[in-house]
Amino acid sequence: MSTHARPRPAVRRRPRASGLRPALAVALLAGLAACAPAGAEPAAPTTGEPVEGGTIVHAHVQEPPCLWGGWIQQAYLSRQVLDSLVSQDEDGEIVPWLATDWSVSEDQLVWTFTLAEGVEFTDGTPFDAQAVVDNFEFWITEQGNSTVLAYLGTYYESSRAVDPTTFELTLSRPYSSLLPALAQAYFGIQSPTALARGPEANCEEPIGTGPFTVEGWERGSVIRFARNPDYASAPANALHQGPAYVDGIEWRIVPDPVARFGALTTGEAHVVYDVPATQWTAAEQQYEVQQYITPGRPVALGLNTVAGPFTDVRVRKAFAAATDREAAVRSAFLGVVPFEGNGTVSASTPGYNAEVADDHPYDPDTAAALLDEAGWDSTDDEGYRVKDGERLEVRIVYGAGSIITPEGATVLQNLQEQVAEVGFQVTLVPATRDELFSGKFSGPESYDAKPGYWTSPTAGILHITFRQHLEESPNFSNSSFYNDPELEDLIVRANSSLDRAEQDRLYGEAQQILSDEAVSIGLYTQTTSLAVDPRLNDVWLEQSQGEPVYHDAWFER
Amino acid sequence: MTTQTHAPAARRAPRLVPSLGVVVPATLVGAFVLAAVAPSVLAPGDPTAIDLEAAFLPPSTEHLLGTDQSGRDLWTRVVHGTRHSLLIGLGATGVALAIAAVLGFAAGLGGRLVDRVVGSLIEVSFAFPTMLLALLLVAVRGPSPSTLVLAVGIGSAPGYARMIRGQVLAVRQEAYVEAALALGHRRRDVVVRHVLPNAMRPLVAVVTLGISQSVVWASGLAFLGMGVAPPSPEWGALLEAGRTYVTFAWWLEVMPGLAIVLLAVSVTALGRAAQRRLEGTDR
Repeated sequence: MSTHARPRPAVRRRPRASGLRPALAVALLAGLAACAPAGAEPAAPTTGEPVEGGTIVHAHVQEPPCLWGGWIQQAYLSRQVLDSLVSQDEDGEIVPWLATDWSVSEDQLVWTFTLAEGVEFTDGTPFDAQAVVDNFEFWITEQGNSTVLAYLGTYYESSRAVDPTTFELTLSRPYSSLLPALAQAYFGIQSPTALARGPEANCEEPIGTGPFTVEGWERGSVIRFARNPDYASAPANALHQGPAYVDGIEWRIVPDPVARFGALTTGEAHVVYDVPATQWTAAEQQYEVQQYITPGRPVALGLNTVAGPFTDVRVRKAFAAATDREAAVRSAFLGVVPFEGNGTVSASTPGYNAEVADDHPYDPDTAAALLDEAGWDSTDDEGYRVKDGERLEVRIVYGAGSIITPEGATVLQNLQEQVAEVGFQVTLVPATRDELFSGKFSGPESYDAKPGYWTSPTAGILHITFRQHLEESPNFSNSSFYNDPELEDLIVRANSSLDRAEQDRLYGEAQQILSDEAVSIGLYTQTTSLAVDPRLNDVWLEQSQGEPVYHDAWFER
Repeated sequence: MTTQTHAPAARRAPRLVPSLGVVVPATLVGAFVLAAVAPSVLAPGDPTAIDLEAAFLPPSTEHLLGTDQSGRDLWTRVVHGTRHSLLIGLGATGVALAIAAVLGFAAGLGGRLVDRVVGSLIEVSFAFPTMLLALLLVAVRGPSPSTLVLAVGIGSAPGYARMIRGQVLAVRQEAYVEAALALGHRRRDVVVRHVLPNAMRPLVAVVTLGISQSVVWASGLAFLGMGVAPPSPEWGALLEAGRTYVTFAWWLEVMPGLAIVLLAVSVTALGRAAQRRLEGTDR
């Protein structure tokens, strides 16, 4: 039985009678200053003993193409049915889950995990070391999971079942962020028998050892999860061991923010994901509001450094200086989501370089001077800058509704107007999720700037987002197509460093280079927010990237 | 011009002083046309200019219709959006009429085989709701204002085509057409000088009604994200942008909606008045 303290999300509020905006802002700053998602205050003590029964209705913003995979929207779902090897607690410590213990060799290359005994997948397959080997093989050798591949592809050497409860992972180079990476739901272990069914069946119904099983999926409407009555492998930071208290989860897809929040107010839903900024104050008064400031890459504008006007670093810097991003974000999110000036790593990430966040302050005069210098020194009759008869036009392609929330779209519109003052003509191109995922807007010719984020518990995310984009090894996560072998070397060295201070220095240096080159312009932090019916207790957000956890949740009678 | 061969016996002389039911919509339509032609007269500001400190202000004397999430003045946006909406409405109706005239005349004058083919084509296209046809076209061409014009135009063409065909068939039986042919006028001249104007005339009223219908459809498509991208002040785009805030800042949804309703109602009222006059039921 676990005796660990209850987990706390970054900011958690019980309903209050009065507005809490200023208090919240202070709490957020305190959380950020600590450089770790620390609790703003201890969660309210639970009243009474957990009661069994009931079905949680979770109203969600969008439906991913599969119930597991390499996107955070898929991790939210797979977290309900899959367990990972380890979990990350509120202090950033790695705690046991399916792996009860682990050790690493002197040279940091061979990781040995001791696995929990007597655990079974919900299809009856026993959970053992060979099952873990099969998952790693599937993820990396068979390229079955893009995000695992992005994290470990260049580090993975081999994996091996030493005996049924001992799993051995061999890396080609030391990777100090291995454990935090493994805590994310992308690394959830699936039944090898189920994996053998092929991609379609796994997409519809992933099978793990987790607290719930997929009961059914009505596309476009609802995903139903049922309790796993035999569940006995909760992470060490869970509030209880044993099966979930509730009978199941109805994960309803309600993209419209008004309708989604309305589902909570009418009692149709118990939890809503992504509380609209305009409803935040109202939500805090009636519901328990939880917010998790995600570490990793914040929502930032990747500027295309190989085609179009942003190939010139002066134009990139001018664009950054022409935007009052802090005001644009504060206004659009009504102060609910914090501004992030660092375009490569967000404030709640270990290894965050706070100094670079102020590198590109709002300064239209500097912006104008930089554009003059870059040759964009005349204006046409509409007030836009011109060079060699061509207008300074910038196409920003954004995933409307999928990657960028309505508030985020407002931020982009605010920037559009701000930079127009200096002479940039911004064309906003809202792209559907299918257009984005099909790769229509992946190539260097398809946009000048593209906002994106990548949640991650480590600044090692830089290795994913800024590893070079080369012909022989393309890296479309590098949305700026910025190639710098020295920068890549710096990040690789940081990833392998065992000395925490040295590692932070290297990550910090990498962020400084990227900031000096203005390849990615920071906007705001990606956040997970939930508003929870106060009758539903002990819902929590896990700490590697803010996945909602329902295993401990129970309804008050 | 031509003479009406069977003018109703009881037709009264048209009233010299127009009724209130004509004056009010005519004034409104006049205002909308002014807004479309010279928006700066009614709203001198920039429709996309932001003022981050003035976001979500309710309607007041300073901001007649309030402000949106970026502090843009909604009155300025609605006024400047009139041109988009009205042009899309007029353009779509024009496209519809052009297609309908070709189909209708071909069916009406082209002989039995052509009539049957075109007639079936029209009947089949009636089986698809206008909105569905329009959505199909947007899906193929991608969202843009010109797509909206084409989509709504093609979608509403079959209705006009059937009407024109009926009119052509009726007019070609008229005595004055027979007379003109008997006098040895060339067939083409007869069609152009007699059949065309007489077949099209009853459409004036219907087309007026069609303009308001087109504005509503185009706004609907834009609302679905099938038209112009934000932050364009096109009315449907305004509705779509306001949707997110409907419980928080009602004016962002209600005011553009009112503009659409006012334009549609006043144009329709004028169309009805015109219809009554043409049909001789003016009271």
